[in-house]
This record gives sequence, C-alpha cells and structure tokens, in this order.
Amino acid sequence: MKILILGGNGMLGPWAVTAMKDRHDILLTDINDPHADYKGDFLKLSADDVDGVVKAAEGMDVIINLSVLRPHRQLAFDVNTIGNFAMMTAAREHRIKRVINTGPHFQMVGQQYEEWDTNLNPDMPPAPGTRLYAHTKGLGQEICRVFSKRHGIQVITLLYYNMKHSWNLGGPEAPPVYHEDMVPYSTAWQDCGTAVQAAVEVPDSRLATKCESFFILPDLPHGKFNNEKTKRVLDWVPKYHVETLWNKETRQPPHGLHEAF
Amino acid sequence: MNVLITSAASATAQIIADALAGTHTLRLTDLPRNATGDIITPNDLGHEADTDKLVAGIDAIVNIGFQGQSGTATHLIDYHTRRMYNLLQAASDAGVARCVNISTLRLYEDHEENLVVTEKWRTDPSAENVELLSAHLVEIVCKEFARDRLIQVANLRLGWPFVGGSSAKPEDTAAISHGMIGAAVNEALSTSELIQWQDIHVQSPVDHQRFITKTAQNLLPGIASELAQ
Repeated sequence: MKILILGGNGMLGPWAVTAMKDRHDILLTDINDPHADYKGDFLKLSADDVDGVVKAAEGMDVIINLSVLRPHRQLAFDVNTIGNFAMMTAAREHRIKRVINTGPHFQMVGQQYEEWDTNLNPDMPPAPGTRLYAHTKGLGQEICRVFSKRHGIQVITLLYYNMKHSWNLGGPEAPPVYHEDMVPYSTAWQDCGTAVQAAVEVPDSRLATKCESFFILPDLPHGKFNNEKTKRVLDWVPKYHVETLWNKETRQPPHGLHEAF
Repeated sequence: MNVLITSAASATAQIIADALAGTHTLRLTDLPRNATGDIITPNDLGHEADTDKLVAGIDAIVNIGFQGQSGTATHLIDYHTRRMYNLLQAASDAGVARCVNISTLRLYEDHEENLVVTEKWRTDPSAENVELLSAHLVEIVCKEFARDRLIQVANLRLGWPFVGGSSAKPEDTAAISHGMIGAAVNEALSTSELIQWQDIHVQSPVDHQRFITKTAQNLLPGIASELAQ
C-alpha cells in the first residue's frame, strides 16, 4: 500500500517505519529533517498545513498521523487539533479509505477515569479533561470521528502511554526505574511500531465500526487498562512485556534450559 | 452581575447584549478585526495576560459558540477550540463562576422532525458545515472545563431561525424569538438550578414545535410559562 505518514520524525515514527518499510511504500513527512539513516521518500510538511497535506495525500491508500506537540498552547492546538482536520480533509478529498490516528491514552481516558477506575477499555466515551495535551488530542480525535461517520472513512486510533527501550526499559525522558509502581502502562518501542503496522493491515472485516480505538500495551497484571480488544482485533502480539518494571523477581530459566534443544 | 459577552460584533451577541443591558454590567469583546467603535474591547483571546485582564472582575461569560465568527475553516476551528480554551482557562483562574455557551439546535438538524429530540440525544454535526462542526467542538471544550470543575457551564442550544419583529413562518418549526433568546440567557445567568454541565434546549412555542423544552421550563423558571404556551 501507499502510505503517507504525518509527523514521522518524532519518537514513534522511526519504529513505525522500521516495521513497515519492507511491506509498503512510504512517504514520510515532518517539519524536521529525517534521521540520517532514513533512505525513503521524504517531504518537509507541517501537519496543520491543510493544503499541503491534501496535496501530499494524492494517490495514497492510507494516512498515518504520528504528529504530536505537547507544551506550547498555540502549537498544540495547531498540530493536535487542526492537524487532524487537515488529515481528514485530505482523506475526504482523495477518497482515502483508512486513516491511522495516534495519541496518548488520556485523549480518551482523562483524570476523571484514570484516577477512579480500573479495567479501562478503549470503547468508553472520551473524557480528556483540560490538560493541554489530552484536550487538544481529544478534539482532534472528535474531528476524526465526525468525518468518519459522514464519509465512511475507517479511522483506527492507537493510544499509547509510556514507551520504553526494550534493552533497558528506559525512556526518552527518564531513566528506567525497576520494581516500582509502573506508570499505568508501558510498551516497548518495537511493539509500538508493529502496532501501527497491524492497524494498517487489519482487514475491514475485523473492525466492528468505522471508528475504532485501541490501547497499545502488553499483557500487564494490574488490570488498570484492558488490551483484550487490541490483541483480538488487530492480531497484534507484543514481543516485550516490560516485566522487570513490575515484577520484583528477576526471572532466570532453570539450569540447562537456556535453549530449546 | 458583571457579564462578558464574546463575539460581540455578531448579530447574536447584539440581541443578547440588548436584552441584558438593563440588568447587568456588560463587557463586550471580539477579535480585533471585528471590534469597531469604542464599545467593544478588541482581544485575540490568546494565552497571554490580555485575556487575564479581560476576565478580571467578571462574574459570568456569555460565549457565542455558533455563528459569532466568520472566516476560513481553520480560523473557525482555531477560534472555537484554542481561543475558547484560553478564555476558559483565564476565566477559571480568575474565579469566574459560570459560562453560558450559546450553541444551536441545528446540531440535530439531520434528525427527522417527528423524533422527540431532547438534551439526552447525542449531537450529530456535519463534517461539511464548519460552523456546525465548530459549534460542536466548542461544546466539547466547555464540557471538559465543567468536567474538571473549573467553571459551571449552561449550554444553551437555541432554535433557528431567530425571529425579530415578525412572527415565524409556518415552516420554521424550530424558530426562536429575539425576546426568548434574551430572556433565556438572562435566566441561565441567574438560575440556581444548574449542575456543573447542563444542556438546555430553547425555542419559541410555535405550531408543530420541533424541539420540546421541558428542561428549560424546569431549570429556567422565569421563562417557564412563556415556553409552555
């Protein structure tokens, strides 16, 4: 498939590209230059440039929005809210049938849910609250929903929380902290990328509605967030379960069982 | 009561300002490109100190959430999301107690007229009509501020068209008079019946009335008898 990626040079983009580069034709876009090792097509483009996004989307089968901007109030609305309007306008103009949106868990599950409830699932009504990042992303998600309903565009939204390096479970913003209460969920970067691939490739027949959301997390024992739908519908199998974040025992295989044979 | 009215150059704001002028102290504001004359304070509703000054000393805000602005799609969405966020953030920081958001029953216009649409029905905005999409988005912004208990919001969804001196045409089954608009806003500013977030549907009593107004009759007692005619 021909895929347009918006905001592809952030933290998640390289992992999504790695998961899909040998399976699909990718046009990567971002306001920043791509990583030096990136070998594919690239276009400098801001996600909130409606005309630019519409033009870039011509001939595409799927649009993926990985753009994120958190702390600055003007830019957060521009990228997280207007950016989704640009993406959905482009999908409508070119009759693109599938859009993959991404964002933080709290664009759906704000403090009103997270501080009160467990077994949080991705089919609840959104309640992002007023935190800037969550709020702006939640508005963008609502724009996706309205366009999806009116134009039959398949919107798949992937909701992440913390992302961790698989080799040491550190993150880009903080060092790893083992054997303590984990921020409600963490996912290895590689698995974050393969989730995007799964969303691109899942058959329409497996999706119950034209607008479906998924929490992207491995199997975690706390029961705070529920990933059942993600595994069942997207057929996504996380490779890493970030176990040393939440299990005090360091598991070692019994002597002699380091290999299968 | 000190009341701030946004999008003050719009026709809707002028209807409301005329109705409130005798009973409240009004501060009118609009974007600099719309604010003409000495009466309307120009303000970009940015996240800087100017917006903090705008809401200082204000008891309640009447926000024009539908057809208060004109322009490109991105301008309308920006105004009704980012600028509303800035306004409500400044208002909550300043201790403004209540916001009356002026929305529209046109958010249900695609529903058949025979359906008994109430405040409990989900709104169904068009993706093609950016004014309606913006009205929907500003409702969400307001609701999240109410959900976080930063400000109380009365979301008035008004009928259409607005009818001045003449009576409504027979086909205008969702019409609302200028007098009813002013009275409803006045009541929404002062009623003690509101919860933190409250949708209220208001239209004038007309033949084959499209929307029922029981919630308004219960929560806005000053216009209950007029609504029930």
